[in-house]
This record gives sequence, structure tokens and C-alpha cells, in this order.
Amino acid sequence: MNTRPSLFSLTFSLPLLIWQLAFFLFPLAFLVALSFWTVRNFQMQPDFDTVNWIKIYSRGVFWDAYFRTLLMASASAVLISLLAFPASYAISFKLRDSVKRWMIFILIIPFFTSYLVRVYSLQVFLSDAGILNAFLGYLGLGPYPMLNNTFGTLAGYATLCLPLVILLQVFSLNFVNRDLVEAAHNMRCGRLQTVLEVIIPSAKAGLVIAALFAFILSFGDFVSPLYLGGGNPPTLSIMITDITKSGQQWPRAAVVALTMIATLLTVAFAAIKFAYREAGK
Amino acid sequence: MTGNRNPLIDGLLKLHIALCLIFIFAPIAGSFVFSLNSDRFPSLPLGSFSTEWYRLIWEDPLVWAGFFNTLLVGACVAAIATLLGFGGAYTDFRYKFFGKTAYLALALLPPTIPVVIMGLAMLAFLSRVSLSGNVVSVIIAHGVMCSPFAMAIIRLRLSQMDPDLEAAAWNLGGNEWVTMRHVIIPFTKPAIYAALFITMAVSFDEFAVAWFVSGLNETLPVKVLGFLQGQVSPRINAIGSLAFVSSISFIVIAQLLMRNPDTKTP
Amino acid sequence: MLDTPIVHFDNVVKRFGSFTAVEKADFQIARGEFLAIMGSSGCGKTTTLRMLAGLEDPTEGSILLDGEQINGKPTWERDTPMVWQSLALFPFLTVQENVEFSLKMRKVPKAERRERARKWLDRLDILEFADRNISQLSGGQRQRVALARSLVTEPKILLLDEPLSALDAHLKVRMQSVLSSLQKDLGITFVYVTHSMSEAFSMADRVVIMSRGKIEQIGTPEEIYREPHNRFVADFLGSSNVFSGRLASDGSSVWTVKAEHAAFTVKAPAELQRAPGANVAFAVSSENMSLAPAGASCTGNCVEAVVVGGEFAGASATVFLETDQGQELKVQKGHDELKSVDIRAGQKLLVHWLPEHCHVLPGE
Repeated sequence: MNTRPSLFSLTFSLPLLIWQLAFFLFPLAFLVALSFWTVRNFQMQPDFDTVNWIKIYSRGVFWDAYFRTLLMASASAVLISLLAFPASYAISFKLRDSVKRWMIFILIIPFFTSYLVRVYSLQVFLSDAGILNAFLGYLGLGPYPMLNNTFGTLAGYATLCLPLVILLQVFSLNFVNRDLVEAAHNMRCGRLQTVLEVIIPSAKAGLVIAALFAFILSFGDFVSPLYLGGGNPPTLSIMITDITKSGQQWPRAAVVALTMIATLLTVAFAAIKFAYREAGK
Repeated sequence: MTGNRNPLIDGLLKLHIALCLIFIFAPIAGSFVFSLNSDRFPSLPLGSFSTEWYRLIWEDPLVWAGFFNTLLVGACVAAIATLLGFGGAYTDFRYKFFGKTAYLALALLPPTIPVVIMGLAMLAFLSRVSLSGNVVSVIIAHGVMCSPFAMAIIRLRLSQMDPDLEAAAWNLGGNEWVTMRHVIIPFTKPAIYAALFITMAVSFDEFAVAWFVSGLNETLPVKVLGFLQGQVSPRINAIGSLAFVSSISFIVIAQLLMRNPDTKTP
Repeated sequence: MLDTPIVHFDNVVKRFGSFTAVEKADFQIARGEFLAIMGSSGCGKTTTLRMLAGLEDPTEGSILLDGEQINGKPTWERDTPMVWQSLALFPFLTVQENVEFSLKMRKVPKAERRERARKWLDRLDILEFADRNISQLSGGQRQRVALARSLVTEPKILLLDEPLSALDAHLKVRMQSVLSSLQKDLGITFVYVTHSMSEAFSMADRVVIMSRGKIEQIGTPEEIYREPHNRFVADFLGSSNVFSGRLASDGSSVWTVKAEHAAFTVKAPAELQRAPGANVAFAVSSENMSLAPAGASCTGNCVEAVVVGGEFAGASATVFLETDQGQELKVQKGHDELKSVDIRAGQKLLVHWLPEHCHVLPGE
């Protein structure tokens, strides 16, 4: 009502604003400045030089890593979405309400377990002499190499993203009007056809957002590609950790980080625009 | 709908749910089992029962140091993130103002930025202002990452409040401050407790940003990252199991506090 | 001092951005009066009440409470307690604590607080629930808690914002009588916002009718019912048929009003002057109209119309008709009087009424 904010309103709104400006937005902005600094004699110096951008962007290794990371994250988003959908559909449409609530509760649990510990445990499962290959051995199969390759990385991404993707898909499927499904059946739309032509379009926004989250998490993760994928050739996240922890080339790490942010923003905007595009004009 | 059910398809779908759950929970359950197994690198058939790994971490002073750092960081982060989150949630609930979208974006976006980038940005910035390499820097970074969770939890509770409740308290003679104390805080109390526990749990498990900024004052998850980088060590499983049990206890407590907050027995 | 009105709205305007919620509200509320503000949703009635409570600030004009200008005075510094549509009872407090709330805000000592709260709980017959939680009470009991909570400071004025809308029909009538007798016993002013005509007309001394932010008419229920000010009020009450035309001749006792396809004889209003040729609208209550078979002889005013439907409730029936010009008419009659005519849909009938039953709308 009042045009001038009161002491009362500022008391509650300002602390968060100041904290996030000072410790979130400002550090991100600082990365931009940092990417133009120069390093001489292992010392960073404030500067305005495009040398870091040129150095990074002219290296084939960077672009290899960039496109590999992009491809892996896209594959992760698509594969995990496909893997999750039948489960989400079944949870949302086939289970009783009480079971559904339990299912949601169970799927929240992984968020409170350490991702690192899960990845370590996965190493034990996937390694050449590990649980999975030993089990397959009893069946007379294998051994299959499942660690230190793309399969390992994707398995790690799935560990990270699958619970979240299923949850987001379930929430969006829960909002699909059940009458639409019956109306479709009533108009002789078959089971699978109803899923494809009615349910998926109705829940499109939620499904796209879920895939977007899988993309963002996979794109930025460095644990799975390093400890399950072998870390070589590196992804962008591994590049950042390597550069940062092995010396003073932070400005170059900043270039990589900013490129990642720009990519994520582009993908996120495109996905959201696609998710909320209405039918017709 | 019952007429349209096909038991075979339903059965296959349920089997698929079961397989997804197995995939999600096998590593979690596995780490429990491995933590109590004598093998350094367990495989089938499993080795014998052993509490060796728990003994090792019990006797490792660095693990203890990490544990106390984690506890200290977690407690401070919970308090700070909940305070900040409460303010943000109330601001969103009560006020309309120019630039509110930007305010909310700034408040809620941190979890969508990849942790490596957050870590690098925090490290670069905090070392500039001489705050990096200590526990304070981890608290600052985790405050940024956890306050959106606290804000979301408290905002959800506020949206369950009758929007007239606050105005009714003003109308009955309480000014804004008094109403905050006697109406808003009592109403959101369950969510405030839940936010405290959940932000603490998030801080307990966060390793990447903490690894970037903590320097020598490692928290426990950073310690685990160190183990992972070194040789194979089932101590990770032991630490992970303990951390999981404590996180889950926090969540269960938070759940209990969130449940049926309106029914107060006389 | 006692002669001054307790509330004076002095040309009050309230805008939200470009939307005008209340336009030039200018009226007074007398001490001890039961005033109802009535209108459909979005008409500005609740905004008017909230300005009086201090929950909204007027954009223009001023509000005087007890002769004192109160613009900009926050609600917690006024003594204008309100009963909310949602009741807004504090779910984390007991019944007793809810009622004590405003005394606590006024720093009344604990013992006195308790005693005063119990007195009001007793008065509203809910003392036995004092230590209960709000969620354990029924709708009617909650209503009484909300009343007790607002009255515990013994204010001079009580504001009520559709307090009965959540109750079922039976309880609504009970609470209406509770409210009426409470207001009479206490002798304080009630300002009651509602969209329900039956609530407003059965309880209020005077009724304010609002539409789209404007006050259309203020008066006692009888005045409004018998002499609606304009077409809106006549339509809103829903029991009248409105005709309009040009004034053809203004005799001393009757006017002739010419419409496109008919001419009507209308009782001349006592205090209203119109030049010949001016637009005139008049209302005829649906109870005062009669039906006859088409082609019957006509006394007074007549129009032919076709039956489009009917509604039958209790001892009377309402017949809906449409004239050739597309005007809808409704006629309300006892079942006996309808025996002589065929009121099935599609029948053409003669609708007739007497000049003295025409009320010229002064506001048109």
C-alpha cells in the first residue's frame, strides 16, 4: 500500500537480498571479471585481456570436451526421461492413493543420502570383478566392462537424476485431467495411443522441465564422469576442477565456467519456451 | 477405468517401478552391507561380517575433525538459511513490489547453478576478500545454497494460512511486529523447524562447493571425496551409512513436526 | 456529540491502479444503527468496509470516525473490529485465547483478560468450549467465537464482512436472529456487508446498494423495495419489471408514457418534474401484474407476451414471458389466480396492471 518501504518490510526482505547479492550474484559476476585477468609468475593480476578466452577457445581439447559434455548431458536427459516415464505413469495412474504417497516419500529419501557414497557403492557394483559381473558370471554371461566408460558415466547420472525426474513426472502426470483419458477411450483411442496423444501432450510442460533438470544436473556433475567414467577424456566440469586445483589458472577455469553458464541458460530458455508453447496461435 | 485395465500391462509397469527402485536403492543398501563386510573390495560371494571399517573411522582423528566441522557448519547454516529463508518467504507472501520477479529469482536460483561453477565462483570471490580456506567460507557458501530450500518450505506453509489471519490480528489491535510474533511465527513454527532440519541435512551432504572453499578445514563429505580420490577404502561406506542414518533422522523429525500442525490437543 | 454520526464517508474514492473500486462514496452512519452494504461481488462493498477498518487507505476524500478524521491511521490503532468472511480464527490458539487476543494486544492484565473473555463466551453460549481447539468446533460455534473475539473490547462499532456466507440455510437464519438481538441489546453500530438481499433486508435499519463502485441507493428496506431509485436497483431486487419510454403528456395525476409499440398510463410521482419528451422509466412489481387470456378486454395497462417458462415455489408461482419486442417480463401470482389461464410455454397471454402500481424511477 505504501510507496515507501517500511522498516518492518525491510527487516524481512533485505537480509536474504543482501546475502544472495553478496555471496551469489556478486561471485558469479566476479567470474566474468576474473576471466579477463592475467596470470604472470603464478600470480593472478587484475587486467582486461581476452587472452584466456582466446587460449581456451582455440584449443581442440576444449571443444572436444564441450561437445562431449553436451552430448552426454543430452543423452542423459533423454534416456533418463524414457526410463522414468513408464514408472511415473504407473505410479500416477495405476497405484492407489496411499501407495502413491508412499512411493513419493520413498523417492525423496535418495536426496538425503550422499551422492558420493552412492557413486562409490556403484563402483563396487559395476567393476569388472564387481557384484554385477559376478552375478552375470553365475548365469554364464560376461564379464562386461561397465566402469570407466560411457556406460559408467550414464549409470552415475541416472543415480543422480532418476529419483528427481520420476518425482517431477509424477507431479505433472497427477495434474492430467482423468476425464480426458476416459473421453479419449470413449472416442476409441487405444491404450498406448491415449498415452501418446492425450497424456503426454497434457503433461508436456512438466515432462520437459523434468528432462531439463536431468540435463542441468548431468551437465554440471563432475563426480560420475570422474569416478565412474574414468575422467579421461574429461568433461567440462572435470576440466574446471583440474584447472582450479592444480594451480593459479583460475581465469581459464572462469572461461570454461562462463561458457557452461551460457550454454545452460540457452538450453533452459529454449526448453521452457518449448514446454509452455500453446497449441494454435 | 476398471474396464480398461489389462493385468499384463499393469504387471509389467509395476515390475518396471520395482526395477527403477532397485536401481535407485541398490547403491544405498549396498553401502550399508559393504560397510559391515570384511572385504576391501566386496564381490559375490560376500565376505564375512566385520565392524573393521567403523573401528577405523572411529580411530581416525581426521574423520572426527571433519565430523565436528560438519556439525558446526550444519548448525550455523541451518540457523542462517532458515532466518534468511523466512524473511524471503514472508516478503513473497506479503508484498508486491517492483522487481519482485528479480528478487525471487535471486533468492531461488542457486540450486540450479552447477556446484562446480558455484564452487569456483565462491573460491575466487572469497579468496579475494580473504574469507576462503576456513569454516566461515563453507558456512557462507552453504547459506547461499540452502536458503532457497528453507524459503520454499516456509512459503508453502504460509500459503496454507488464511490470508485474512494477519489482517485480523492487526484489526484486533496488534501492530505488525506484535502480529509477527503472535500470529505469523506461531503459525509457521512447524515449517521453521522442518527448514532447520532439512537445511542441516543438505549441508551435511554437500561436498563439491565445500571441497572448493574449505581448504584444510574439511567437512566430512569433503573427507569422503578425498578418500574417493585416494585408494579404495570401504571407510566411505561406514561414513556414508552413519551420515545417511543421521540425515534420515533429521528428515523424520522434520516430517513429524510438519504433520498435523493445526490440531492442538487441549 | 451524540448527534454526530459515528461514521462519515466524505466523498471517498478508492483506486487500485487504474481500477476504481469505490467512486465518491458519501454517506453517514448513525449511532446504534444496523447498516447493511449490499451488492454483487466486485461492487466495492468489501473495499468500503476495509477502508473503515483501516485495512485500505482511501485514494481521495476522508473518513471520519466519531468526528475524527482517521485516514492513514493503521487498523491496530482504531477500535473497529471486524468479523471476517473466513472468520480468520487463529488455528494455533484455543477458543479462550482467540477471544483474549485483542485484550492481550492492549496489554490488559491476565486475570482481567480471562474474566472478560469468559463473560463474552458465556454471553454467546460457548463457554463450555473455552479450552477447545478451533478445529473441533462446528460452523455455528466458530461464528460465535469470531463474534466474541470482536466484541470483547466493547467497541462502539462492529464491522461484519459476509460473516454468514459459509453457513447452511438453517443455521444462517438462527445466526441472523442472534446478530439482530445482539445489536439491539448492545446498542452499538453494526456495519454489515453482504450479497444476500434476505440477510440485508431482514436485519438492517438501512441498506446501501452498491454496483461497480457506485452507491445506487441508500434507504430503509421498505423504501428501497417500494421505491427503487433506478433501473439497477429495480433489477437487482429482481422482483420488478422495468419499462421505459418518452413522456407524452404530464397531467396532474397521471402521465402518459409512450414506448415504441405501446403507451402506458402511469401514476404521476409526487416530487418529480419532467418535461414532455423526456425519457422516463418506471417499475412494476411482479406481484402487481396480472395475467389474462390473449384477446381479453384490457383495463389499465396491457401488453401481449408469450410464456417462456415458470418457476413454482410454495404457495406462489412466477411466470416468465417475453413480448414481441423481446422484453422479458415476470409475473408472480398465487396458484389460484393462475387457474384461469394456460401458462404452458408458447401460450400467448395478456399481461395487465393498474397505473397506481407503476413507480417512476427518479434516477433514470
